[in-house]
Amino acid sequence: MSEPTKMPEPVQQVVEPKLSPAELKKRAKAEKQARRAAQKDPQEGPSSAPALATNGVHGEQKIQKQSGPQEQKPKGGQPKGQAQQKQGKPGGQEGKHERTNSIQQSLPIRGQPAPTAPPKELPKKDRKQVELFSHLYTQPRRHDIAGASNNVHPSIVALGFQMSSYEICGSSARCVAMLVAFKEVIQAYTTPREVSLARDLTSRYLSPQIDFLKSCRPISESMGNAIRWLKKLIAEIDPSTPEQEAKDYLCDEVDRFIRERITVTDQAIAALASGLVKDGSVVLTYAKSSIVEKTILQALANGTRFRVIVVDSRPLFEGKNLATSLMHAGLEVEYLPFSGIAHAVKEATLVLLGAHSMLSNGRLQSRVGTAGLAMQAHKADIPVIVCCESVKFSGKVALDSIVLNEVAPSEELLLPKATVSHPLAPDRKDDDDDDNRQVRSLHDWRDIPGLQILNLMYDITPAEYIRMVICEYGNVPPSSVPVVHRLANESM
Amino acid sequence: MPSSTVAQTPSLSTYLKSLKHNDIETSIELFISLLKRRQIKNARPCAIATINLLLRVVGESRIRDAQQLIERIREVGRRLVAAQPREMTVGNIVRRVLEAVREVAERDQDAANGGDSGSISMPSTPISGEPQRRPDYRSRFSEFTPLQGISTQPQDMYARAQAPGERPGTSSSFMDNVAQRPPMASSVASYAGQAPSTTSLFSILQQHPPGRSPFATPPTGTQSPALKSSPTRSEESGADKFDMKAEAINSIQDIQQELDDVDNEISEFAQDHIHNNEIILTHTSSHTVQKFLMKAASKKRKFTVFHAEAYPNNHLETYATIINGGSANSQDADERWKPLTSMGITVILIPDSAVFAIMSRINKVLLAPHTVLANGSIVAAAGASTIALAAKTHRVPVVVLSGVYKLSPVYPFDTDDLVEYGDPGKVVDFQDGEFMDGVDVVNPVYDHVDAELIDLYVTNLGGCAPSYLYRIVADHYRVEDIDLSAKAEAEVEGG
Repeated sequence: MSEPTKMPEPVQQVVEPKLSPAELKKRAKAEKQARRAAQKDPQEGPSSAPALATNGVHGEQKIQKQSGPQEQKPKGGQPKGQAQQKQGKPGGQEGKHERTNSIQQSLPIRGQPAPTAPPKELPKKDRKQVELFSHLYTQPRRHDIAGASNNVHPSIVALGFQMSSYEICGSSARCVAMLVAFKEVIQAYTTPREVSLARDLTSRYLSPQIDFLKSCRPISESMGNAIRWLKKLIAEIDPSTPEQEAKDYLCDEVDRFIRERITVTDQAIAALASGLVKDGSVVLTYAKSSIVEKTILQALANGTRFRVIVVDSRPLFEGKNLATSLMHAGLEVEYLPFSGIAHAVKEATLVLLGAHSMLSNGRLQSRVGTAGLAMQAHKADIPVIVCCESVKFSGKVALDSIVLNEVAPSEELLLPKATVSHPLAPDRKDDDDDDNRQVRSLHDWRDIPGLQILNLMYDITPAEYIRMVICEYGNVPPSSVPVVHRLANESM
Repeated sequence: MPSSTVAQTPSLSTYLKSLKHNDIETSIELFISLLKRRQIKNARPCAIATINLLLRVVGESRIRDAQQLIERIREVGRRLVAAQPREMTVGNIVRRVLEAVREVAERDQDAANGGDSGSISMPSTPISGEPQRRPDYRSRFSEFTPLQGISTQPQDMYARAQAPGERPGTSSSFMDNVAQRPPMASSVASYAGQAPSTTSLFSILQQHPPGRSPFATPPTGTQSPALKSSPTRSEESGADKFDMKAEAINSIQDIQQELDDVDNEISEFAQDHIHNNEIILTHTSSHTVQKFLMKAASKKRKFTVFHAEAYPNNHLETYATIINGGSANSQDADERWKPLTSMGITVILIPDSAVFAIMSRINKVLLAPHTVLANGSIVAAAGASTIALAAKTHRVPVVVLSGVYKLSPVYPFDTDDLVEYGDPGKVVDFQDGEFMDGVDVVNPVYDHVDAELIDLYVTNLGGCAPSYLYRIVADHYRVEDIDLSAKAEAEVEGG
């Protein structure tokens, strides 16, 4: 970049005035590229500070956003940038860092005001993402319909918003809801001429729907397995079948899938697992799993006398829903926040957990907090049983909760403003005001540099904490998950 | 109630103000009611209130005799401890004050005897009268302690012989006390009165004058270097007692000073433990932890902090601490410090449920306890046991930051008893009547964390392993003060 700008200068000094707008344009373009690279690489923001011999005001604004006292000191920014660079474990960042550095070093002029409008939000947004989980911040969640492809069916739109607002929450529920919506989508489809349904339906029609759903909320493992199954089914349709017949066939198959792999399976698992609940049992469960709820209600229907402890956590408070429904069913329920786990395991005799998915190395992916509960239960020698349909079994493996996860928007963790009564406010003395420091609340977190809020959805429970997995194929140990996965999901 | 015209929620600051106007009995009653209603809670406010109250008690007592003063303090302490047994700091401070008063009394008694009775004379009973009788299991808090057999007197005598006038528990006498190994507990517990000391190997190695048990009252003939504070024999007893009271008040003010300095002293060790590029996990709004991290940050260390919010009992204070630092609040009247984020440290707020999920990336866990127990275990805010267990699973070191004032000589036989249960309305709003009716909502406020899960204690005296805490307890408390009940007192006198 430096060569073309430097070269013309000594030779064509006469033409300089003409070139300077072009130069400015080139510089602006380079800055835009740097900014785009900065957006991809969250560590780039602070580390661009040292090389900002070029960006002048633009750079200064960036630095000011990050650390007030360090405004004019590129040196001050540099160790911080490098320190933050080291903190982010992904190694690929180093290459990117060098690349953008070289772009900036190629721009020779210092102190020129940037012609393009400096995007003040960008550096802030980058540093609001927790670097450990930077691979999970794919796209910001969609909150309105703007930008959706016009192919998206209205029932998919409705489903997408229901999922992103957690109205439909839970892996089985989302899977069923998605398949039901797909039935409508399939019925609404018409094959264009010259194209066969088998090829066109998936690629041109179904894919935008799936992308829309992904943009509302990352899809679950069960949804993924169902989609794979559906795509395979569509691809196997005989091209000579008339369209309506093909569509009806697909819808019937979807109904059968839902019935066989979810509805009936749930009943089978509930019957199996409820046999584990004996008289006098104290069943401990976490958040709300539809299948654990069915198991407990089945055990109640069997006439067993037992009680239930429900542990719950922020921000979804799903356990409260479970506790309410069990209370209405007539059970004795105890309800604790997550901090009460140590108390809960003192009395529990059995732990029943639901799953988001079972991984092929025997680990359980479930609502965040499940691992802590399983760990405490394991320490107290309480059997931990997982109830999971085979549609949730996955071929993926994970060693910790960082690799496979979902990061939800941080705003969901903020308490509603009305209930946040500031503990400092009533006791403040009047001479505090001269300190020039406002008392801020957590809602101002975006303005505070260095403060991030992390809202994880899932965590991975190690296989040694799980005693048994109950699926429609029977009671299996966690090490049998890949076998069941091959049987159920890959050879259909 | 205090005579201030503005109606304020009763709390530590209003109590401290009221201490100045009210008489002693009212102040005691006020403190008891504050404790019972949990308007004063957490370790440090209780410690500050207790020490100020006891300072007044000692200051205003017109008691001639050291023993009577000690009884008076014991009586007050008994009432305070009974008001809120789980607030163990109150008992700790009472015992510290008792230790200070006893030590001053012995020093004065020594000086009054012209210094010819050995370094410090024993209290009125030989210590060995105590250990052979276990205290009654009266309260569910057992006041039995593994220290019963380990007396603080004998090696104190030797320590004091070497360094007159220094109190055990200050850092300089640490080494002195460490150098003397006490005889083994078993050898003492089974004997009455003057026991021969030859059963323990260690006691053989100690320098005893021949034929004397280390626990016996030293014979009057033994000389010791004259103590610095020896008043002349001609002084009347009144001036002596006044001298003793003034010195007792000085000692108590030393304890007060220690309470004020404890956070600063702990944070002096921050550089040893926090380094660049570490990822640290902490929990609740503890000011000790915040100042510790701030000290490390001020030494230009760049690290990341994951802060668990401790919902539902402490989350608002945690948010306030993260965002505003130590703003003026009722607990620390004049303290003000910036939040960690303003020093360039990345702070990431997580809900408590995410602790296991991120533990694989954490380098260190910092916990601040509510109470530290003599066996090395702690009582900390709810959620701490999950954190400590997850840290153990991932082999992450757990460091506990606590001042010595939180260290209690009580031994936790029934850990369930130590856990306090709080307001279920914080978990589910009472407005949700149907839910509250049908479901049993439980909100434990504290968690007991076993000593095996803790790797290091950093106190204002330095770092130590959990297995060493019993020695610190021995240095700061007297065995006869561990049981504050009247019955034990009577036996101490009668025996």
